[in-house]
Amino acid sequence: MRAFANATPKNLADAVEQVKQAKQNQKSVAIAGGGSDLLVMVKDHLASPDVIVHLAAMKGNDKVIESAGVVKIGGLITLDALSRHPLIREKYTALAEAAGVVGTPQIRNAGTLAGNVCQRPWCWYFRNGFPCFKAGGNQCFSAAGENQLHAIFGGGPSFIVHPSDTAPALVALDAKFHITGPAGERTVAAADFFTLPKVNAAKENSLADGEILAWVEIPAAKRGTRSMYHKELDREAWTHAIVSTAVVLEMDGATCRSARIVMGGVAPIPWRVPEAEKLLVGQRVTPELAVKIGETALIGATPLAKNRYKVPLAKEIVRRTVAAVAAKA
Amino acid sequence: MSKISRRRFVEGTGASVIAVAAVPLEAQQTKSAASESNAASAADAPRTKIAVTINGTKHSVEVEDRWTLNELLRDHLDLTGTKLGCDRSECGACTVLIDGKAMYSCTQLAVWMDGRSVQTVEGLAKNGKLDPLQQAFIEHDAPQCGYCTSGQLMSAKALLNRNPRPTRDDVQHAMAGNICRCSNYNHYVEAVMAASDTPSAKGGKA
Amino acid sequence: MNPLKTAGHPTQRIDALKRVTGTAKYTSDKHFPGMLYARVLRSPHPHARVKSVDVSKAQALPGVKAIITRDNCDVVWSSGDTRNKRYLFNNPVRYAGDAVACVAAVDRHTAEEATRLIAVEYETLPFVLDAEEALKPEAPEIQPGGNLSPDDKGKREAEVYRRGNLDRGFAAADIVLEDRFQSAHHNNAQLEPRVSIAFWEGEKLTVHAATQGIANCRTDIARDLKLPVENVRVICDYMGGGFGNKNQCQDSDLMAAVLSKKTGVPVKVEFSRKEDFISVHGRWPVTQYYKVGAKKDGTLTALQVRGYSGMGPYRKGRGDQGGPEVYQCANVEQSVTTVYTNMAVSANYRAPAYPHSVFGLESVMDDIATRLKMDPLEFRLKNMTRKYRDSIDYSSIGLEQCLREGAEKFEWKKRWHEPGLDTGNLRRGVGMAMGGFGSSVGKSEAILKVGAKGQYYLYVGVTDVGTAAKTTMGLIAAEELAVPLESVTVHWGDTADCPYSVGESGGRTTSFTGVSVVEAAKQLKKQIAEKGMPKGSDMLTASVVTEPDTKGLARYSFLADFCELEVDMTTGHIKILKFLAVHDSGRVINPLTSQSQVQGGVIQGLSMALHEELLYDKRRGIPINAGYYGARIMTHLDVPLVETMFIETDDPFGPFGAKTLGEPPIVGVVAAVANAFFNATGRRVKSLPFSRDKVLDALGKKEVLA
Repeated sequence: MRAFANATPKNLADAVEQVKQAKQNQKSVAIAGGGSDLLVMVKDHLASPDVIVHLAAMKGNDKVIESAGVVKIGGLITLDALSRHPLIREKYTALAEAAGVVGTPQIRNAGTLAGNVCQRPWCWYFRNGFPCFKAGGNQCFSAAGENQLHAIFGGGPSFIVHPSDTAPALVALDAKFHITGPAGERTVAAADFFTLPKVNAAKENSLADGEILAWVEIPAAKRGTRSMYHKELDREAWTHAIVSTAVVLEMDGATCRSARIVMGGVAPIPWRVPEAEKLLVGQRVTPELAVKIGETALIGATPLAKNRYKVPLAKEIVRRTVAAVAAKA
Repeated sequence: MSKISRRRFVEGTGASVIAVAAVPLEAQQTKSAASESNAASAADAPRTKIAVTINGTKHSVEVEDRWTLNELLRDHLDLTGTKLGCDRSECGACTVLIDGKAMYSCTQLAVWMDGRSVQTVEGLAKNGKLDPLQQAFIEHDAPQCGYCTSGQLMSAKALLNRNPRPTRDDVQHAMAGNICRCSNYNHYVEAVMAASDTPSAKGGKA
Repeated sequence: MNPLKTAGHPTQRIDALKRVTGTAKYTSDKHFPGMLYARVLRSPHPHARVKSVDVSKAQALPGVKAIITRDNCDVVWSSGDTRNKRYLFNNPVRYAGDAVACVAAVDRHTAEEATRLIAVEYETLPFVLDAEEALKPEAPEIQPGGNLSPDDKGKREAEVYRRGNLDRGFAAADIVLEDRFQSAHHNNAQLEPRVSIAFWEGEKLTVHAATQGIANCRTDIARDLKLPVENVRVICDYMGGGFGNKNQCQDSDLMAAVLSKKTGVPVKVEFSRKEDFISVHGRWPVTQYYKVGAKKDGTLTALQVRGYSGMGPYRKGRGDQGGPEVYQCANVEQSVTTVYTNMAVSANYRAPAYPHSVFGLESVMDDIATRLKMDPLEFRLKNMTRKYRDSIDYSSIGLEQCLREGAEKFEWKKRWHEPGLDTGNLRRGVGMAMGGFGSSVGKSEAILKVGAKGQYYLYVGVTDVGTAAKTTMGLIAAEELAVPLESVTVHWGDTADCPYSVGESGGRTTSFTGVSVVEAAKQLKKQIAEKGMPKGSDMLTASVVTEPDTKGLARYSFLADFCELEVDMTTGHIKILKFLAVHDSGRVINPLTSQSQVQGGVIQGLSMALHEELLYDKRRGIPINAGYYGARIMTHLDVPLVETMFIETDDPFGPFGAKTLGEPPIVGVVAAVANAFFNATGRRVKSLPFSRDKVLDALGKKEVLA
């Protein structure tokens, strides 16, 4: 591994300051949450930091705080803690479930919520050193290559899929991201945080240089709201989703008041399907409607040569998850 | 924010040149790239002094910032019971407990261990007496080649610390991050169940 | 069979304590004073001429002690290619991963960073990945003389076995089926990556190697470094798995030796996980064409199989195909064409010629049974081998019992239904396969000593790759000596005091070295009877070489596998519900560790069936999923409980009736899964692995039933 210096910030402001200072000294910086993935990227020469700012060293940014129904979650909460948190499990089930199926127990013990949301793509071309858009290059090797695991929505010029499990859940739960950085603090809706490759093919989100995803806010769950996250893997543990979906339904008895459906593993960003959501409003969730929701969610999919299977698969996953959430007591 | 690797790749141009010079393996360079690398020898690498408790013993050591916990244990403290299988958070052979939680020591930096407590396979037996998990691993022939065994033990230990009466399913979930290529998974699960307080599992074959 | 006193009972490994306490020292755990770390620079190109290698910047990095390239090292790695000259550093480089340089430095970071400072100028050459493509006239030539790899005798043609007359066989058939199956290059993926440490004391070389065979490794090293064998010592105390990819000396052993010679200190060459996947070897991928004829009553009349095996650019393995020998059939033609490609090198992985071939063969046989409306079990009972190649008697055969008793335990008759008859979204099906694996006998050695206190010391040249070979050898000695296992101390893993053993491959240790141990014990008992027990510090020693033959008989282990699975018809998810593996491996010396072997082999086979393939970018010839994550190697959460059953035949040539066990467990697994999938869905996936895209493709097609 190349040499680098570790920096241990005391708090978020200090972290931002340390990043700034390093940059002023012409040093490249990487920010580590749990570090599981960053160190892999350094070892594989996909990241070459002179300084690693180790956020997990600081205290206090890993709490779940509820006030007036609104829940704030520190970005440094581990995925394991998040998946086991009683409040999150009860009221924001999809998020707890998503956190609980990331990687392996070891990764969930080290990995953080912010790190999971901000992780780099797992496209095999990027991870194997191909000079693609994500590595600062000017092409996507999957487009005409091995694209079994790649995007069926929102692709072009890069066809990666967003690798995070928690991101679709957060978008479905209408979360807001609080970001801190050299230019101060800002808040952005989770749905607007992620960046399509046609906007910027080199990046997956709108974090500017030196910015940190500090904490996540989730609005109070309305009465009757329930949610689930379903992840389809191609082995039973430690892969990223082939297809996943987070479904949040606000139910009034058997009738759906509102719905948010977000798919993972199908697009370079968490992929929300408003047309499918609209069909649910004011309706009883019958088996026939669930089928229609699945069909509608996949309208407009543009699969590549080797990932056509994702279309029927995603339809089915959406159908099942919508039906399962509606049937939840 | 991490700086993208500055490698440049040569696009083939000549008649005999047909492929893009992509780099599939670590530690590779095309000619044009070599001059760009800012490789540093160990003498220049930043170092930090840390205090870490390992298996109950406090160690004050100076580490290179880039050393992983795995390197600290294996190369510098001669605690080679913890193995290295993939060096990429993929296999689990390097699993240790950090403040009681199972983690991959290949992707935790040693410098991050300052003030923390690490338990390795060498810390399982107490006063010359094997941990019940170790005893059960022997009796149920859990290790074949044994290279993943320390990691399997540590994941199992973390589970039983939290949940002394797991189901088979609990065990499989808790150990999902530990690959055994000899694929002796059945015996591993059987052994953990036998070492647990789960009533029907004691001594019985699962 | 007569019961045994010590062997034949579940016995804990004699080294289990060390394996569970972290005190077992594997090669990578060893450190020597002044030791340097070395890393290899590899080609990023599948085929390229190396125009220049400039090491000046790397050499200048503080801490770098030595660099070897083709410019200053022309050592030939002869076990890396048995047909061509394969150097440690080749020019041209012939696959993405071919070694170009190796750097030794004071620590591994410095070594690794130094490799990045080496500037290599390549002239890229056209490449080819697929075996059949590589045989076309326009394909680039990978080795001098062409891409059709020569056989043992140097002839460049397909290796063919024939009996009877195919035309007559097909003419006599009521139905004839033809089909094509494809298998993938997949990796051994043992947890311990390849690692070598070498140091010299004068002209004497010691190599600590992660090897499956210290004796082979030693002779390989001596030959390649032009040393007398007695000047080379190979040590392997504990070995972290291999499944066939640590059989011989690895190039890292030679690199470590050369670098140590240059620097005068011990050198450790370490491979990363990715290098271990790409630059050691995996199982050869085979494209298989079957044509099979049968009569209405199910009698096979003709069996033809042609296979094209992609060997990578160097010939490290046989590339053959197995399976048809378990069928009785008058007219057979089996041919295999081994071909050079620019993929990673292919060679031995557990039962090298079998699981992928049996997948094709047993799929076709199932289809014939289906067409004839026969139960696949009855079809196999009718056509199973009685004599090897219909002409040579077996030394022992329990295949019929494997099928019958296995079917009974599995409740085959109850679980099996006609293919595709299940309805609904979750469809269950069962499948089976039968197989055999040659259980050879041959030359081996053992030394057994006894001291005054009645303690016995057994010296065997095994390393114990995870099979419990040390324990097995101890049990065999204890049984023959009629002493408790505790009275036998087993020494292993060091050519300095352990005599020749064949190496732990081909499932040969029990049959080869086990026979030596029995003979040594017999001779020692005779000495004791003649001279009495030794006194004081005296020892009695029996040193034996055994080289039995099978007196013209064929010697095989046999198996039958039964699988039940469930297919989610809309998501393509496959869940293995039940698996029973039934083995005739003769007498089981240690039921506890034998069960581990079988369960492990089955799960490796399941992982092979459902997940594993070293995937290439076809346009650039570069692998893109090396490693555990990419290969989707099965985890704890993926595996079913594997049931095991042993049919203990009493083989006249094995120690106490034992035959081969290490390799057979993977032989029929892929086929049993494929047939269960067919039974559940009425569809076939004909290319490995059964990845989601292929499964959903197959499910989207019409049923293939006749």
